[in-house]
Amino acid sequence: MGQTLILGLIAGGIYGLFALGIVLVYRGSGTLNFAQGEIGTMGLFVAFMLVERAHLPWLAGAAVAIAAAAAVGIAFERLIVRLMLNATRVAVAVGSVGLLMFLLAVELKIFSASPRTLRAPIGGVGKEILGVVVSPTHVLSLVVTVVVALGLAWMLKKTDFGLGVLAAAQDPVAVRLVGVPLARVSAFVWGAGAAVSALAALLVEPTVSVFTPGFASELFLRGLAAAVVGGLTSLPGAFVGGLVVGVVEAGAGRVFAASSLPGLKSLTVLVLILAVLLVRPRGLVAGLKSKEEAA
Amino acid sequence: MKRSRTLTMIALLVVFAAVPPLAGRAGFLTDYWALLMGLAVCYAAAGLSLNLLMGYAGQISLGHFALLGVGAFTSGILSGANRLGLPFIVAILGAAVMGGLIAFLIGLPALRLRGLYLAVVTIALSYAAEQSVFRSSFISGGSSGMELPRPMIGSFVLTRNADFLAVMLVLLLVLWAVDVNVTRSKLGRAFQAIRTNEAVAASFGVDVTRYKLLAFVISGAFAGVAGAMYGHLYQFVNSESFGYQKSLLLVIIVVLGGLGSRSGVSTAAVFYALFPVAMIKAFGTGFHGTDLIVGSLLLMYTIARYPGGLAESMREGREKRAVKAVRKAAQAEAQGAPSDEPDVMPRLPEMPRPSGLAARKAEPPGTPLLSVRDVSVSFGGLKAVDRASLDVSRGKIVGLIGPNGAGKTTLFNAISGLIRPDAGSVHLLGQDISRLPAHARAMAGMGRTFQLIGLAKDLSVTQNLLLAQHVVAGYGVASALTRIGKAAKIEGELEQRASDALEALGFERFANTPVKNLSHGQQRIVELGCVLLTAPELVMLDEPSAGMAPGAAENLAVRLRDVRDELGRTVLLIEHNIPLVLDVCDELYVLSSGEMLAHGAPEEVVHRADVIDAYLGEAVSV
Repeated sequence: MGQTLILGLIAGGIYGLFALGIVLVYRGSGTLNFAQGEIGTMGLFVAFMLVERAHLPWLAGAAVAIAAAAAVGIAFERLIVRLMLNATRVAVAVGSVGLLMFLLAVELKIFSASPRTLRAPIGGVGKEILGVVVSPTHVLSLVVTVVVALGLAWMLKKTDFGLGVLAAAQDPVAVRLVGVPLARVSAFVWGAGAAVSALAALLVEPTVSVFTPGFASELFLRGLAAAVVGGLTSLPGAFVGGLVVGVVEAGAGRVFAASSLPGLKSLTVLVLILAVLLVRPRGLVAGLKSKEEAA
Repeated sequence: MKRSRTLTMIALLVVFAAVPPLAGRAGFLTDYWALLMGLAVCYAAAGLSLNLLMGYAGQISLGHFALLGVGAFTSGILSGANRLGLPFIVAILGAAVMGGLIAFLIGLPALRLRGLYLAVVTIALSYAAEQSVFRSSFISGGSSGMELPRPMIGSFVLTRNADFLAVMLVLLLVLWAVDVNVTRSKLGRAFQAIRTNEAVAASFGVDVTRYKLLAFVISGAFAGVAGAMYGHLYQFVNSESFGYQKSLLLVIIVVLGGLGSRSGVSTAAVFYALFPVAMIKAFGTGFHGTDLIVGSLLLMYTIARYPGGLAESMREGREKRAVKAVRKAAQAEAQGAPSDEPDVMPRLPEMPRPSGLAARKAEPPGTPLLSVRDVSVSFGGLKAVDRASLDVSRGKIVGLIGPNGAGKTTLFNAISGLIRPDAGSVHLLGQDISRLPAHARAMAGMGRTFQLIGLAKDLSVTQNLLLAQHVVAGYGVASALTRIGKAAKIEGELEQRASDALEALGFERFANTPVKNLSHGQQRIVELGCVLLTAPELVMLDEPSAGMAPGAAENLAVRLRDVRDELGRTVLLIEHNIPLVLDVCDELYVLSSGEMLAHGAPEEVVHRADVIDAYLGEAVSV
């Protein structure tokens, strides 16, 4: 029981991090960036090249990876999203599918589908808590997740720019009136969303030790589930949603451990999303009732 | 024309069934190329499937190959030698049913909501199918995968790829024909209206959730057939045959082929099936994967530059030129004739009551029609409408005025069902409609216009006139898909009405012009024509004179009286044009800061001190 909970929370923190990035883009741009996960995988490949091939310190590799991810997010915003101010939000999301496909194809072309390994940020075996070996990386990932979540929350609630981000999709005119340039809000959410994905991918990576193209897109799906559980518009909701997805997934794995059906975790995610949409479409953590939603 | 279409289909059927087997036997079509062409046919069928959902209804599925997988495994279970061993045709039908059923089950929770939820759910489906369901030993035989048999004719098994290619082409033709029927029926119009504007679709009586779900179910059935074809073509599938990446490739195919364009999407599908293989053959394996890199870049470029799809922008270019030519010709022909003034509304036609609607009781003017009681709407903490009440009697024109932001349009949306008020009730003809959704209120006899024109602007004028008759298109889905039964006859009636209306409005020359290419005034006229086409009990107009020239507004007053006196309709009117309001309204309501400030005869109301204070600013001299 305790073991399941700890495993679930460790995984869930990562999902929550992905979900924060998703909610950020949704609040700032009114759409979803389906490439967000794969930008994270790209970050892993960058870090892999620098750390494992060029033998740079882990921190340097991670920093460059996150910066590269942010650059891809901002470039996409500049080159594609900005052209689509008058297009439907669905069309923008389809554009991000193009980016996802592009990153996947390039990764496959350069690195092929064979698994790669990136070392953990901190070595050491770790301590046993309630029968689970919790590695230093696990602790680090939880700490970073909480710090990033709190930092984002502070930035969004306490600064004018942050308030502009929160209001951008709902009331662009008001945002302009407060003096926050919408273009910068848009660039920020796409860049930050991508950077957070890379960060999340770097932190989860050592717990499963290997990755291939498409690796973080699978985690991104859990992030989507978490964001849906949290109501898509709520940052605390996204974080809590991540923990819920993590724990439910781990719990299902335990309850159905004897089942012969493979891949139970992905089936659980599907069922969880459908159940939340059916029972509490505004999310388990109630989101905002926006004017647009009501109309 | 109908006959020639049927003949074309039969001719194609014969060609598709005969050519590949003959070519195969004559040595023109090797087994290898027949297999590749079979793959192309699968992709084309899958492309049609996703195009129906994305191109017509504007919903995205990012896990469409999972539905193909559902079809393939279903077909394998039904027809497999050591499974149920049923005939091929049963297996294909089963695949279609199962594809539609799974689409229904996962679409139901996602499509009740607006937005990108279907995309999220279909990604989850894709992973769950690939990693779990398709690997279960019951469905696929676990990791080893599943074998599928080729169909038999008598005791002759179609082992040759060329022979099976003929079967696939015939199946593709069937899907194509169904797809054509979709676009020619109320289904296709409803889908496209939903893609353009859900509120407008609902106000014409389209049950938005139901039709989105219907689009996904039909799309799922198509995908089921496409997947079954794939399985029987390769005679083997496993969980990896239907991965996430293939679903994404399908998105590329549909967007590059042109959203909503059957032929474009099919061409792109054939290209993506054959081109990579051909390039690898020509330039070696180094080319592997390059097609996806190029394709994804093109996808981003295309969606950013031509979000409606390449096919649409090409079509649009043609039409814009055509409209310009028509305008020029019309100007040259009738110089200075006032009736050609685009903004001037012609006399509105008196349309016979559509046969699909129940005969109305001949109630005398003055009996209560609409009764709104204590309706409140709030957004977050802001009260947009606060306990507003109003009554509209039959045969009257009732005006609703008030300053900007007073909540007039919000009240309209609450009355027509586009937003659900926090409190209060709405009665139409004595019936409580407070709980009915917008489309049901349209069915009950409400018609409305929008400030920004309530038409599906991507569709042509004729298509909009047909869409507006959705409430009387009384035929079922099966009839629409097969065009057997009532659909053809009723569609004929609708088309007749649409062309009568076009003629009465004097818009024949714009019959096939997309509404967005018309001037604002022209759009307004079409909108009014659409709303009046089904003779609604209550006509709600949201600022009809906005953006019209002063002369056009006077003309509008005449036409509004026509609507009341000659067509016998009842009108509820939001207006800022006070002279127009004073001219036509029998009664006036004033809304200020969400509250009903005044009600009475127009002359009295506009001279009240509080009304002048809140809205008019200065005394109106009449």
